[in-house]
Order: sequence, then structure tokens, then C-alpha cells
Amino acid sequence: MSKGEFAIIGTGEVPCGQYPERTEFEIAYEVARMAIKDAGIDKNDIGAVLCAQHIMGNDYNTEAVFGRFPEAIGAKNCKITCMTSSGGASSFSIRKTAEGILHSGETDTVLVIHAQRFSQFTTNEMAKYFAIAGSDIEWDIPYGITYNALAAMITQGYMNATGTTIEEIAAVCVACRKWACLQPNAAFGKKELTVEKVLSGQMVAWPLTVYMCNVLADGGSAFVMTTRKKAKKVCKKPVYLLSDASDYSHRGITSAKVRDMGHLASFLKPIADKAFERAGLGVKDMDIFEMYGSYPVIQLILLDSLGLAKPGESGKLVASGETSPGGKYPTTTNGEALSFGHTGTGVGFGMLVESVRQLQGKAGKAQVDGARFIIENTGGGAFMDNHFTILGNEIP
Amino acid sequence: MGIKELLGLSDEDMVKPLPKPSKWSQPFWDNTKKHKLTLKKCKDCGHIDHPPYLYCTNCSSDNSEWVEASGKGKLVAYAVNTYMVPFPFWDDMPYVVAMIELEEGVRMISNIIEYNHNELKNGMALEVVFDDVSDEFTLPKWKPVKE
Repeated sequence: MSKGEFAIIGTGEVPCGQYPERTEFEIAYEVARMAIKDAGIDKNDIGAVLCAQHIMGNDYNTEAVFGRFPEAIGAKNCKITCMTSSGGASSFSIRKTAEGILHSGETDTVLVIHAQRFSQFTTNEMAKYFAIAGSDIEWDIPYGITYNALAAMITQGYMNATGTTIEEIAAVCVACRKWACLQPNAAFGKKELTVEKVLSGQMVAWPLTVYMCNVLADGGSAFVMTTRKKAKKVCKKPVYLLSDASDYSHRGITSAKVRDMGHLASFLKPIADKAFERAGLGVKDMDIFEMYGSYPVIQLILLDSLGLAKPGESGKLVASGETSPGGKYPTTTNGEALSFGHTGTGVGFGMLVESVRQLQGKAGKAQVDGARFIIENTGGGAFMDNHFTILGNEIP
Repeated sequence: MGIKELLGLSDEDMVKPLPKPSKWSQPFWDNTKKHKLTLKKCKDCGHIDHPPYLYCTNCSSDNSEWVEASGKGKLVAYAVNTYMVPFPFWDDMPYVVAMIELEEGVRMISNIIEYNHNELKNGMALEVVFDDVSDEFTLPKWKPVKE
């Protein structure tokens, strides 16, 4: 894609949390209608409807690939529909699919939908799914590893190598919760956390307490993507996709490209550098940093890679309050998986949708005044890949 | 009351997962059963793959052999599972899951056994021990090397 070739012009989102009575189909249809209304377009303008994968959702996924959604939302001129998935990185891979469709010229308007309802499953069903999803069924699972243990291991290695303290790790959770408290749709947005509270939580996978582990929740969001030409015509404040950059590392953490636990950011830094270079912008131009960590240590590694602090010292930056509301480096303004809620493949969608809201001036109490440029990331698997995207409400 | 009764789990729910070998990994498990730790090495380029795949991930050759590892390694990083683990592992808590780097350069996830939490240190020397977890499978696990 060339700089600003595509834009997002509208978004929709439902509250995240435990809503067993609200089906995943209801979520999908609702967020689609909201995004279309927010974009200010006619539903019959939509030429492609792309769906994200519903984790453990065989019925939903079947319906999506059998073309339920264009019919259900009444997109009478839809020509293309499909499901695109790369787990947690889905918001990126689905966007690339949308770009390809827009670039082909078959349509100039694409609707992207994500929905997830974890609350329909029993604890045992989810435990079984997530016991095997994050790790290798042959080489890791027989040892009783969990997603949380994997993140705990990275946390332990990072702390050991960089001297980051457990209080600084906890500070990420505190900052995310502060942002979530400004978000009407956040699952955990009622009460702020303190470092003491985070550290006194039940130990789950040492050194991680329960407050340092994300919580699965129901939710969903949607957005409308179009070409620059159409965006300028139909939208007062389009959000342009200025650049992105990607890299893939591994399936299992033992095969990770970067082996030094103290310098995991060295996998990410070249990706960030490339994204900045392609946008013709630098980290100093960024008004907001939408970092998808899913665990506190990952946010610190992401911040390390951007160079806001010296490598290994991002924990101090977060503990200083500079990434919290009112700080110099607003980071993860929806509270992310830790406090907004983990909606399966939807965490990245939530952050992308929040990025668009911020740049359109529609972020409500979480609004960062005058935000022009945002760097956003997503990644999937067991930290298998990473994609940085730079968005702006102008094309520099 | 145990977790099984508390959640009304079946006997099947409490069975620990065992490896499901592929045809290219079967020799690894055949060898651990004989208490031998082996790695798949390419006879053309010398690259060692762990986990092993159908062919060499460096040069795509099928020409490979299983070589015995020294059984020495070092601790890269670790976690201690204390809650919210898969149900079959519930009664084992707390237990250590760790990433180990073998002398041959490859890494694996395993458990550290016969440890004292205070003595665990990243970079410390470990040696392999074999745990015969069933009639069919033996898992390689690791313990600190005593000075």
C-alpha cells in the first residue's frame, strides 16, 4: 500500500464483559450497523464483508464462511465475503485482505466484523482449548505449561536480564486500568488498581499474580474501510493507514528468532523502524502508543522497541505515570486485554477501533487532545509475530 | 474436596496429556523410552532441528540421523505454576515450567525437578533426567547439576 492509500471512516463496538444472553451473531449484526452508521454511508455501498474468526465458535465460523453476514445485515451489493484469521494478529491480516480487495478495484467499501462470546463455554471447555492453543501439543503441553506460565517465563527472563522490578511490571496493569476507567465499553472499568493490589493478588504463575493475567470476555467491534478518494468524499475526518511493517518469529517460544531474554525488543525494533520510515515519521511525532501486550511485560518490551526509554527501562517510564491518562506518552488508551477484556481474536480489533476513535476525536473521556498520529501494533500465537501500523488523520 | 469432585470432572478430564508423535518425531520418543536424549541432525548440512520436522528446516534435505545429546543444558528462564493450570496438573502445584537450552544449542520446554526455589538461577547448569510417565512415554525433565 502507498502512504494513505486506504482509510478507516467508521467504527462500532459493544460493551465487553460477561453477557451470556447476547449471542455472537447479535454482536456481529449490531457492531456492523453501528460502524455503517458511524461511517455515514449507505449499507448498500458495501462491496465486501470480512469476518474475524470466533475462538471455539464452529457455528459462527461456519456461518461466516457460508456467507451469513452480508445477507443478515442487508448488504445488497456485497460481492466478496470471507473469514481471515491469524489469531491475535487478525486485525492486521484482515486489514491486509481488505487492502487487497480495495486495491483490486472490485469495490471501494469494505466492512470488517469481529464478535466473540466466551461465556457460552464451560470452564472445562475453555481450559481444554487454551491448554493446547498457546503451546505445542507434542513438546510443551505434556509438561503442564499454560499461556500464563509462558508469559510468566518471559517476565522472569526480562526482569532478570534488565533489572525491571515486579512493582514496575504491576504499574502496567495500574496504567491500563486507569485508561479502562475512561472507557464505557471496558469489562474492568469501574475501579482503579494500585501496585499493592496487583501484587497482593492470587499468584497464578510466579511471578504473575491474577491481576497480571488477562481475562477472557465477550465483545466485538467493526470498522468500515475505504479508499482515500472515497474517504475524502464521504467522511469529515478519515483515518489514514500511513504505513505498516511486519515480521514473523516462531510457533513455539523455544524457536524464537531472538534468543536473549533481555533483548526481546530487538525482534521488534527493526519492524517499528521500518514502519516509521515508510510513514516518513518518527517516534516523536506519535501522540498515542496503542500497544497490544496482553501481558504487562509484553507492553514493556514493545515500549523498549520504540525507544521512548532506554532498552530495559520502560518499566520506570510506566511507573512514572507518563503512559497513563494525562501523561506525556498516552499508551494503550482502551486498557487492552488486561482491563478492557480479552475477546479472543478481537483484542487487536479493539485497539484499532480505539485508534480510529482517538484520531476522529470520538474517544470520549479517554480522548487525547489534538491526537494526529498513532502507532499501533498487534501480534498473534504465542508471540509468533508482530505488526506495527501508523495511522493519522492527515497524510504527512 | 479435590478439583475433580468440585467441578464434576470425568476420569478422562484428569488424564495428563501425552505427546502425539508424528512420523518424523517418533524416534525421539522411542529413544527417551530407552533413557536416551536424541536430536534430529541433517547429514547434509549438519543443522539440528528441535522440534524436528519432516525435512531439514535449513536445507530441506531428507537425509538425517538421530544423534545423542550430551544431556547437559542451562536454564534460560522459568515460571512456577501455582494456580489455574490444566486440571490433570492441579495436584502437582506448585511446579516449575522452564525453557532449557541444550549444550547442542537447541531449546526445549520442560519441568525442573529436584529443585529448591531459592537456588534456581537463570544460566545455571542442568542435566537431563528421564521420567517414565506411562508405559509408552518417557519425558525428559531437568534438574540442577550438584556442584
